[in-house]
Order: sequence, then structure tokens, then C-alpha cells
Amino acid sequence: MLENKQTVLEQAVADQWKVLPSGLTVIVRPMPGYSGTHVIFATRFGSIDRDFRLEDREVHLPAGVAHFLEHKMFEDQDGDAFAKYAKTGANANAFTSFDRTCYLFTATQQLDESLDVLLGMVTHPYFTEQTIAKEQGIIGQEIKMYDDNPEWRLITGLFECLYHSHPIRSDIAGTVESIARITPEMLYDSCRAFYAPGNMVLAAAGNTTMEQILAACARHGLMEPRPEGRVQRLWAPEPMTLAATEKTLTMPVSKPCFGVGFKEEPLASGDLRGEALYDLICSCIVGGMSPLYRRLYDEGLVNPDFGGEVLRVDGCCCILFTGESDEPDRVKQLLLEEITRVRTQGVDREIFTLCKNEKYGQLIENLENVEDSASQMADFALSGQTVAQQITMLAGLTAEDADAALQRILSTDRMATMYILPDGTAPAAEDEEEEE
Amino acid sequence: MERTLIAPGVHLSCDPAEKFNRCRISIHFAFPTKRETATAHALLPLVLERGYADCPDMTQLTKKLAKLYGADLTVDARPMGCSHNLCVSVTGIKDKFALEGEPLTREYAAIALGAAFHPYLVEGVFDPQAVEIEKQMLKKALEDEINEKRIYCMRQANREFFGDSPAGVRQEGYLEEVEGLTSRQLTEAYREMLRTANIELMVLGCDAQQTAAVREALLAELAAVDRVPVPLAENIAMPRQQPLYKTETYDMVQAKLCMLFTLGEPMKPEELAAVRLAMALYGGSVTSRLFLNVRERDHLCYYCSSSFQSFTGSMAVNSGVEHADAARARQAILKELEDLCTGEITDEELEDCRRGLLSGMSGVEDSLGGIESWYYIEVLRGGRVQTPDQARDALRAVTKEEVRSILRRLSLSVSYLLTKEDDHVGE
Repeated sequence: MLENKQTVLEQAVADQWKVLPSGLTVIVRPMPGYSGTHVIFATRFGSIDRDFRLEDREVHLPAGVAHFLEHKMFEDQDGDAFAKYAKTGANANAFTSFDRTCYLFTATQQLDESLDVLLGMVTHPYFTEQTIAKEQGIIGQEIKMYDDNPEWRLITGLFECLYHSHPIRSDIAGTVESIARITPEMLYDSCRAFYAPGNMVLAAAGNTTMEQILAACARHGLMEPRPEGRVQRLWAPEPMTLAATEKTLTMPVSKPCFGVGFKEEPLASGDLRGEALYDLICSCIVGGMSPLYRRLYDEGLVNPDFGGEVLRVDGCCCILFTGESDEPDRVKQLLLEEITRVRTQGVDREIFTLCKNEKYGQLIENLENVEDSASQMADFALSGQTVAQQITMLAGLTAEDADAALQRILSTDRMATMYILPDGTAPAAEDEEEEE
Repeated sequence: MERTLIAPGVHLSCDPAEKFNRCRISIHFAFPTKRETATAHALLPLVLERGYADCPDMTQLTKKLAKLYGADLTVDARPMGCSHNLCVSVTGIKDKFALEGEPLTREYAAIALGAAFHPYLVEGVFDPQAVEIEKQMLKKALEDEINEKRIYCMRQANREFFGDSPAGVRQEGYLEEVEGLTSRQLTEAYREMLRTANIELMVLGCDAQQTAAVREALLAELAAVDRVPVPLAENIAMPRQQPLYKTETYDMVQAKLCMLFTLGEPMKPEELAAVRLAMALYGGSVTSRLFLNVRERDHLCYYCSSSFQSFTGSMAVNSGVEHADAARARQAILKELEDLCTGEITDEELEDCRRGLLSGMSGVEDSLGGIESWYYIEVLRGGRVQTPDQARDALRAVTKEEVRSILRRLSLSVSYLLTKEDDHVGE
């Protein structure tokens, strides 16, 4: 890489890191010329963190606690955090994934006050039986909304096939039954275990400075040393065999939806290189530049939504290909033939390089606006990485690395297939004509 | 943002936007929607996006974009009231980030202009083979509408609401017409667009020299077209009517309810600030009545929000509800509107909503997409183009009575419910 290019990139990345005495990791990226600031307070606690040892006892959570806790964090004895954000004008939200929970806001004014709302609500949890009961209704409706989403049902169905006991089998939000079992004690235990500053990251990008963010941390006691948490995640053994090789369900969809999933050896915590490599391999096999994609597209076997993705969390790594087709088994057969061909012949060198080019462009793009910038910093920081390290890592990946990885991944011995078939109620073209 | 007329019916809007890492060149074509060409104009973006004369092959074009560090070529159609809007855009990282010093911006301009003005033709018409493939894609997309129940419910409600009005033309296309569409018809629809559309060239994140080069290149392209730009479609409003209640049943877990209201007369541009505040207060924010009362207090919906479409003077309330609660949710949604029209609006809730809107508007110019959307919608809406700062000033001046006056003019026209069998008894 040219030296002056390195400088341009360093200027573009320009993030500042600090680990506070409390253990909290703070990353700030001042962005001159921007009006807004996006702040994310993230913890390594997601839907898969169900079983753990806290101090001297084991805690076992029903499915959906991390997501439930996310909802409840917005409420304390003084009322609702949204009402407090309303006084600052900030636009706030939160989300829970398999392995993390993130609380965030974007503010163009009163940043200190918004930081106080965010840090105050996450560091001062408050739960009662009554407030928990109230939330169960709303989350129950959220769960039902996802139940009608064929794409989400496809992914969760694949996890159920690929895994025997890993908690990724359970929906992030849990079920109506599992969230009915949540108690205040479970939520407090989860906070003690996973909302300790040492397990969290605070990322801010935009119209702010490290000094401003640190001052907010100081106001909330995050500059003080905290005792080391004694938490140990407990994992049930997960063999490399499948729970099921195939699953089918019916829904009101217009065409069959299908997913082909491959169970892979889990990647070591912080191994973003392996994940990036698998991602590039997926692009080489089914991405827009691949011969397979072109054939499937031209023959009308898939639509542009067909693609592959890598999912990795602690104790779980899988590669999923999903799409919609009138002939899902034919698509699956062509996919398997292409995997065999690429494994034998090696990845196309031109496509591999172009895919790397795309990823580089994506990293630069993600530094452009305050939301993406803070999100990217927080994502990498939760895995102990920086954006700059990612750029360097990406540059170091080679087609030979991909060829070697292909010898051990995407094995049909660890492959499951999921189908969602039309239940026959979706309207056909003729029905629409009749209505008119 | 600077906006200048550079030819009849053609404007250039540009902003050097130096703080961004990327630049964006987009060519917007806006023209009144027509029932007879709706399906052709729905298919057009798919065909234009897959290649152009200098790079006709879809895979080669994808590779070309990847070589430009994953630059994005998008051709899409956005319905806006009675106007059809086709946009060809290329977005990519700025030249300074190119690892080998490539002139990226020049390439972006060549691709955008190529896709818009030099499609790949075979014997004077769009490549029939490409057209056939993309017809199948359009068919799939239209058939897939049912997969996403929220969107399906909204579209069904809109179809009832707009009926035969120009705003009711299905800009996504008509499924039953796709098969019969020919390359020749598609080419004619394309040529008509070039002749008649109002064109907005938007160049963001480029320096003066780069912008001038794109401008000249566009004018050179247009010199070869026999242009007769037609005026942009006027904003409309559907007349008031007795509410129509429709129910459709599917085996689904959560019911979807879409309620459409009309203002009865087209929205005046000067009313926009009051409309924005009215929506934030009624259902467009987390400090709104629908969010705080219908969702949070009464737990009747998982989501329940309102939005206003200024081009058609209409308001939509969308919600996801328990099947058994649908009728109660509908009554609650109407009651919240009635309460705002006749009951008290506290200073605190009004100011909370205003503060949230003002803050959001301050951040509009923090993204390329935000800048482009803001200014292009301003252009289409008609009247004076407002900057976000001017819109903020207008918002600060809105009174409680002005908000009420907007809400009082909204009347329910269509209530569309998607629910499961047996649960709509009593609807």
C-alpha cells in the first residue's frame, strides 16, 4: 500500500481508544463537519448467553432474557427513558442479537444530557414483578410478528436442524411461554454477570470528543475501578453432527423458500479473519460475479435475493445459503456441484480479488456517516479488534487461504435443508384480476 | 446545495460535500404516471440496471463495479403520488481512497450516463433475451408481495383508497401484463421517458471540475434527444368518502391493520411544517399518542405509527395487532385522533415532538442519502425548495392550533385488515 494512501486511511479511520479503570472500553471518532453524534453502549450479552456461573452458583435462563432485559432497561423508578430522551431531542433505540445487546442514540443537541440518559439507564437497572408482567404482552406481540416472516422462520428452522443443544436454536426474543417464566432475579443476575463495565463497549462517532465522552463516564462512576466479575459461561457439548437433515413447514407464501445450511467448526473468539475468509468464499461461490449466480438468474431459478452468509458466535459457526425458487432441489443440486468444482479447481482468482476490493470499499463507506461509523467501531471492539486491523487483515487474505479453507468447510456430511412451502392461500394472478 | 436550470426541464443540484468518503452521481427522471405504460416503466429499472451498450453483460458490469471498490449502480423507481420517478445512480468511494490512483469519479459518471442514455439494444430495441429474464424477475417480485404481510396490507389498502385515480396506478406493475410486454413496448416507454421527463442531475461529493464535467456530459447526451418536457404532476387529494372496511384472511400469527385518511384537498406547501408536527404528535414518533397510548399503555399493537404523504394529502396508520384486538385497536386509533382534535394538547408533549423533529432535521446533511432525499423531495413537492435550516425555522413557528387544524381535516376513507379466518367476526 502506498505510504500516502496509508495516511489517508489513517485520517479516515481516526478512532481513539481508551480502557477505563472500571474496565469499560471507550472508542471515539470525532468527525469534523458533522452535526450529529451517534453513541452505542454495547454489552457482550445476547440470546445465546443462557447458562452461566455467577460467583458460586449456576444460573439458567429461559429463552429471550437478553432481549427482554433490553426492553426493560428503558424503564426505571423515575419513568421511561424515551420520555427523558424526548427532553433532549435524541433519537434512541436498542437491539439484541445472538451475542450482544446494544443501546444507542443519535443526537444533534444536548449530547451531555443524552449521554446521561443512556449511561444512567444501563447502569441503574430496575425491575419489579409488575413491570415485567407489563412487558410480556408487548414482547409477545413482537414474537408473533416474526412468526409471520418467512425469512426469519427459514433461518431459525436451519438452526434447529444444524444444532442439538446450542442456544442459537432458540429465537432471540424467545417464545410467549419462555418469557412468561422470567423473574426480576433472572434480570438482576444477568445484569451482574454481563452488564459489568469490563464486558461492555461505549462507542461514539460524530460531533464529539474523547474528553466529552470521558466526562460523561466520570459522571456515572465509570472511571472508578470495579472488582473483577466472576462469570463463566456454561456450554452444553455440541457435537459436529446434525440434529436433523431436513425440515419443512408451510406458510402463506407465493413460492417455496429454501435454505441450505452447513455446520462448521466454531471459530476461536476474536477470529475475525476466519469469518472474513468464509465470507469471501461465499461471494466466490454464489455472489453476483459467480458463474453459478448467473446461471441460476438467467434460468429463472432464483431471484436477486439468493445469497450466502456466514454466522458465527461463541460455540457456533455456520454457512447458510437462502433464497426462493420454484425448484429448490435443483438449486441445491447446482449449488453442491459448484462447491465441489470450486473446491477442486480453486477459487477464481479474479473474483476473489474483486470481492476483496468490494470489502475494502465497504469499510471506507462505513466510516462515512455517524451511525455506521459508531456501529462498525463497536462491532469490531466487541471482538477485540479495530477498524484499522480489519483493513490490514483483509489485505492479507489470499486465494490460497480460501482454497485451503474450502478443503474443510461446506461438507455435505454437515448439511441441512429447510423448506417453506406455500400453504395455498397466497393469491394468484387470476385472483387479482377477479378482484378488479 | 446549489440548484440551477441547465436546459429546459433539466436542473443540476450539486454539493461538494467534502466531509464524506464517497461521492454520488444520480439522474432522476420524473414524469406523470400513466396506466398504459405502468408495467413497462416498472420493468425498465431492472433492464437498465443489468448492463448498457459499453458493458452489456450483467456479470461483467458487476465485476466492473467491484473493481471500483464496490461502487453501487442502482436503477430504481419510486412512486410519488401521481409522478413516476426513475433514478439512475452511482455511488462510490472518492478518488483519494483508490489504492492504485484510479480516476474513480470519472468512471462513476460514465457508468451512470451509460446506464441512463446508452442501453444495450439489439436491432433498435432492448435485448429481447435480457427483457425475458427480467420479466420473470418482475413477476416473482409481484407474486412475492404476499410474503411481507405489512407491505401487502398497505398496498391493498392503497388500491382501495386511490381506486382509478392517477395516484392509484400500480407503479410496481401489473402482474397480468408482464408476460405480454415486448422489447419494443419497453423501448418505446424508455424513449418517451427520455423525451418527456423532468430531469434532476444530482452531483454530491464531487469538486467543481468533476461536477462541470458531468454536467457537460449530460447536456451532450440530451442534445441527441428530441426533448419535450411535460410539467410535473400536481399534488392531489382524494375526496372524502364514507369509510370502507375490508378484511382479507390468511393463516397468519399477527393481524395487520392499515387505515388511510384523506385531507380532502391537496396539501399546500406552506402547511408542511404543521403536518410534520401533527404526525410527530399523532403517531410518527416515540412521543406520539399512538406510540405512548395505543402501544405502550393499552398494549393493543406491537407497532402503530402514522405517516403523511404530501403528494396525495393522505395519512396512513399502520399497525400489527392481535387478531382478537383488531376492532379495539381501530377504535383506539380513531379515538386518539379525535382526542387531539377536540381535547387538550399539552405544551410539554408538543415541545417534546418539536424537539425531536428539529434534532432529526439537524442531522439531514450528515449523510449523502439524507441530502439527496431531502432536496429531491423538496423539488418534487413543488413550491420553494427549503433547506433543512429553513424547515427548522418554519417548524419552530408552528402553533398548537395549526396542528389541530391539520388533524381536524383528516377523515378516514379505508380500513384494511389482514387477519386469520374466524377472527374477523364482528369486524
